[in-house]
Amino acid sequence: MTNAALRSTRLSALCALLAVLLLQPGVFAAEQRELTFEKDILPIIRSKCIRCHAGVEPKAGLNLTSPSSLLTGGKSGAALRIRAAEFSLLYEMVSSDKMPPVGQKLTASEKGLIRKWINAGAEGVGNAASIDDSEDLTGADLWSFKPPVRPAVPTVRQLDAVANPIDAFIQHRLEDRGMTLAAAAERLTLLRRATFDLIGLPPSPAEIEQYFNDNRPDACARMIDRLLASLHYGERWGRHWLDVAGYTESAGILNEDKPLPLAWRYRDYVIRAFNSDKPYDRFLQEQIAGDELTGYWDAYETAERLPAEVVEGIIATGFLRTAADPSRPDFKKIKNAAGQYFYPTLFDTLQIVCTTTMGLGVQCARCHSHKFDPVPQADYYRMQAVFMTAYRPENWIPQMNRRLTIATKQQVEAAAKQNAAIDATVKRLQAELAALKATFTARIFAEKLAELPAEMQPEVKAALQTEKGKRTEAQQKLAAEFEEKLQPQGKVLEAALAEFTDYTKREKELNAAIAAEEKERPRFDEVRALYDLPGEATTPVLLRGDPLTPGPLVEPGVISTLAAPQPFQWAAPEVAAKTSGRRLAFARWLTQPQHPLTARVMVNRIWMHHFGTGIVATPDDFGVAGSPPSHPALLDWLATEFVRSGWSIKHIHRLILTSNTWRQRSRVSPQHRALCTEIDPDNQLLWRQTIRRLEAEPLRDAMLAVAGTLSRPMYGDSQSVSRQKDGEVIVPAGQDQNRRSVYVRILRLNPETMLQVFDQPTIAVNCTQRSVSTVSTQALTLLNSDVMVRAAAAFADRVWSEQPDDPIGQALLTAWGRSPGTGERELLTTFFI
Amino acid sequence: MNQFDPISRRQALYQFGGGFGGMALGTLLSDTSPAAEAVSHMTPDFQPRARAVIQLFMHGGPSHVDLLDPKPMLNRFDGQAPPDHVADDESLTKHLFGSPFQFRQYGESGLEFSEIQPFVSQHADEIAVIRSMFTEHRNHEQAIWMAQTGLTTAGRPTLGAWTAYGLGTENRNLPSFIALPDPGGAPVDGVRNWSSGWLPPRYQGTVFREQGEPVLNLKPKQPRPQVIEDARSRLLRELNERHLAERPGQLELEARINSFELAGRMQLAATTALDLSQETKETQSLYGMDQPTTKSYGTRCLMARRLVERGVRFVSLFMSGQPWDTHSKNNEETKNCCLRTDQPVAALLTDLKRRGLLDTTLVLWGGEFGRTPAAQGGSSNATSGRDHHPYGFSVWMAGGGIKGGQHYGATDDFGYRAVEKRTQMANLHATILHLLGLDHQVLSWPHNGRDERLTDVYEAEIIEELIA
Repeated sequence: MTNAALRSTRLSALCALLAVLLLQPGVFAAEQRELTFEKDILPIIRSKCIRCHAGVEPKAGLNLTSPSSLLTGGKSGAALRIRAAEFSLLYEMVSSDKMPPVGQKLTASEKGLIRKWINAGAEGVGNAASIDDSEDLTGADLWSFKPPVRPAVPTVRQLDAVANPIDAFIQHRLEDRGMTLAAAAERLTLLRRATFDLIGLPPSPAEIEQYFNDNRPDACARMIDRLLASLHYGERWGRHWLDVAGYTESAGILNEDKPLPLAWRYRDYVIRAFNSDKPYDRFLQEQIAGDELTGYWDAYETAERLPAEVVEGIIATGFLRTAADPSRPDFKKIKNAAGQYFYPTLFDTLQIVCTTTMGLGVQCARCHSHKFDPVPQADYYRMQAVFMTAYRPENWIPQMNRRLTIATKQQVEAAAKQNAAIDATVKRLQAELAALKATFTARIFAEKLAELPAEMQPEVKAALQTEKGKRTEAQQKLAAEFEEKLQPQGKVLEAALAEFTDYTKREKELNAAIAAEEKERPRFDEVRALYDLPGEATTPVLLRGDPLTPGPLVEPGVISTLAAPQPFQWAAPEVAAKTSGRRLAFARWLTQPQHPLTARVMVNRIWMHHFGTGIVATPDDFGVAGSPPSHPALLDWLATEFVRSGWSIKHIHRLILTSNTWRQRSRVSPQHRALCTEIDPDNQLLWRQTIRRLEAEPLRDAMLAVAGTLSRPMYGDSQSVSRQKDGEVIVPAGQDQNRRSVYVRILRLNPETMLQVFDQPTIAVNCTQRSVSTVSTQALTLLNSDVMVRAAAAFADRVWSEQPDDPIGQALLTAWGRSPGTGERELLTTFFI
Repeated sequence: MNQFDPISRRQALYQFGGGFGGMALGTLLSDTSPAAEAVSHMTPDFQPRARAVIQLFMHGGPSHVDLLDPKPMLNRFDGQAPPDHVADDESLTKHLFGSPFQFRQYGESGLEFSEIQPFVSQHADEIAVIRSMFTEHRNHEQAIWMAQTGLTTAGRPTLGAWTAYGLGTENRNLPSFIALPDPGGAPVDGVRNWSSGWLPPRYQGTVFREQGEPVLNLKPKQPRPQVIEDARSRLLRELNERHLAERPGQLELEARINSFELAGRMQLAATTALDLSQETKETQSLYGMDQPTTKSYGTRCLMARRLVERGVRFVSLFMSGQPWDTHSKNNEETKNCCLRTDQPVAALLTDLKRRGLLDTTLVLWGGEFGRTPAAQGGSSNATSGRDHHPYGFSVWMAGGGIKGGQHYGATDDFGYRAVEKRTQMANLHATILHLLGLDHQVLSWPHNGRDERLTDVYEAEIIEELIA
């Protein structure tokens, strides 16, 4: 070792020693003044870092001399994250002595200063001036980013295969490959298929009979109309929407599975919207901007009552409240709460909005321009800005306080007046009640005192009337002996008072009067809604998606590469405006007739629920990484037809269900199968119907319907669920255990076991496509669960009482809608008898 | 179906898996061969060291400075304000808090443990302690998600689910991923601790219970006579066969029918696997099953060994709530946790070893973070607690290819911040997968438009020094 090196080693050893000595309390006593970049940090950087990290070509691309470049960082990412020294590269490098690599390391005091400066907010850093957005945007000519153009309906050779244009598109592709549509399924199959598809229940024997007796040529279309008119339709298709919306009834993203008691109003809104075939454009506008669309704030300020349309509008914004939001009022005190707890809700909201309405997973662009899809990072934050005026991570309203009352200003003010009057009356009545009680308590005292020997009375009285702490020893003894008797408390006092009829009579009257007053208090229903908050909202681009490295601010906007004919149109409102209009502008842009994605994504979802797979097999990804459409022309025809029909979802159902494509058999002839399997083994071209699994809800509902125990009341609060000792989560006894599944409470951390076993999604963000699993816990549930055992018993009772002479025939008719096939009756008879 | 379309290919595999060359369905039902789609995840040039994992998840965040990471400086400056460069960043704790527990060296390696782990410390030479862990959140749930799923966001697949997906099972009658929660109550974050996230549900942990029937609905609550049970099975089989015969080539239907058959087999397999009466008295008392304090955790440790022995890939053990969350009375509560778990955990290591299973079974011990070197609340050392601490903490691993008798990395003098060989969760996860023969960069699932993996976008490194 050279002398110099030796000296240097000794020096650092001494430094270390010194550092330890300096660890005495007080030496590093926190300075109260704010640490600044200029005064406190730059000197350290100048003395220890500047040799490498400055100038035109700083090492690792990191320039430490300009505060805003600390956030932009260098090749290894941001050098610092605001208020998070422990997770900042700058602090990591200097605290571990990795930097500077040669020469004097930072002293403990310098490290401490850097740490404290960062954790106090990194004064002087501000927002990064630019974002690294140099990546090429590939795929800008993606089919799904251009508006759908209505294609001509193709001509086919086999004309009788075509019942409507859908068939022409399908048959055309099949004929191309030498195939054809399969024959239509049997009538009963079609009835069951349509009934499950549209209302999620099996047809009843009466409905089967009615359908079989209808010999009119349009019997099938009538049957479909009947089902579309059924109120159960909304329960079935509303449930599909609730999946993509990520609907749950608890905020339990944290362990505390906080219930959201108002969430069901949104669920009911969705069911009603489907039942009334609310035009889909309006449906989206209401969910994204129902408050702005229906003029909630105007109505609040000026109307006597909120019109029904406004109430519906604010309930619809529940769509934007489905993202997990565990926040409580005390979260505000947590350091970096915005980044840790509030921003995630905003991220999830945007993911839900974009996957649901546009079939795009834009969340990649949160951290960097999208790797596959032509979505620049800034666009992500432009869209985030649309929701920023409402959500405000920097000025957060905890989820339980974020709600609107179904009332206008007039009503609220009137209610306040009325409440003040009631308060006064109640106060007077309560005072009277207290006085009454005091009078009679005194009477008890006097009477009991009189029962004592006369000579004792004055002393006992004096003892008991003296304050507890001031009693003499003698008085304490007396009190111990007589207090209980003369001054009874609690229940004993109540019992003693109850002896006086003139007390009880008046007490009853007074309590009744108080209750009557309380009943008069005006009460308003509340809505879990999203609405803008007062004040200006800014939206920074977050470098690498990190709220602790904010970048330049952006204005509200949309995906710039999406070729929608109508641009996003928004102008900042007056300062005094109660709502910014950002969400309405977004909703209008989204629902323009020629939007490249909105109609396509929705018709694809409808198709998916009728065929098992969408025309685009990835309903949440219409981007480069998603599946290309199997029938692009059909998709566009359906999308334009959807818009033409006034965005009528039921119109699309009707088209699909009256097509020969949908009516095909799944069980095809061996020749047909052999031919087509060869060419198209996965049935992408739809040479037959696919066999599909019933989802959890229709499975459970069908079982209850067949057992005859399904409880059908619609709407309102959900049936609660509870976790049993054995870990099973069920609708407990005492609740309506047989309620339709869409009304069973959905808790993030305690999902109802049977529904979960059959793949009802456990919601983290939302569910754009359910998994279909086949596991033996499903078999065990069907074989042994209490729910099944109960349903089986009810089913047995039912068929035996309905058809005591032929319970087996009745069982099959009820469950499968048909009479026993060959050998079936014998088989079942052997089992049952 | 487009062959370049991973989603449809995989979906086809898991939806129709039952038909492919008789390959049974899903891992819950599959045989020894790993799921077909997982074969490509195996590291080609590395012989797997572990074939099973037992995860002892310590909810709440055990205090590293009281258990595995001795810090004399803490005791020396006990009660004083922490120096600036180790001050707690939320100023919740203002007084350094020395550990009352003596640390000693154990085994030939001299690995240090505190005195409250008299049993586990006997395995010092098998254990590798990572003292330089850090995580990214100081709240339980987010840190649990980080530890269990790789990111601080909810809803991702857990380590157990990834393992089940990557390896399949060795026993077609038992699930490949089993969770053993405390009968006293769920751990914090409940079912998400064994969730498959956006992996198919068949990879989620199946809960086995230490009391009553091992699996929910294994049998009806009101038992049925065997004759009825048998007749029911026969009838069901007959009806199913008829149904299938009319729908030839419907693979999913076939799989569905198989699942009923397999459910029957699971009834037997699960019941046998958890029949602890087959164990000797000596083994039972080794696990502390004869003492009230250790009975519950000991029972689950023994269950874990029996399950791993039968080819289960991943067993997770939990305690109710978050017992290590020692915000007050840190010393007493930490000791209590050791009283409940130390002997059973040591017994598990002993038992695995004597049965020749330790070499191929990786045992993981650790929580979601550590605890502050400074005291939280409390007027005396007896009542003081320690707060959550993400910047530096310890976990340990043993068996399954781990080189025992070492500690890896270090925190600073106060146990505040990991400073040497800083170890992010992704490194730990990558190493665990590596020991199982899985490549963390390859084991992925298409989700949100990209192939997502346990280590996500982290540049994770396999910690070679830990591997024997």
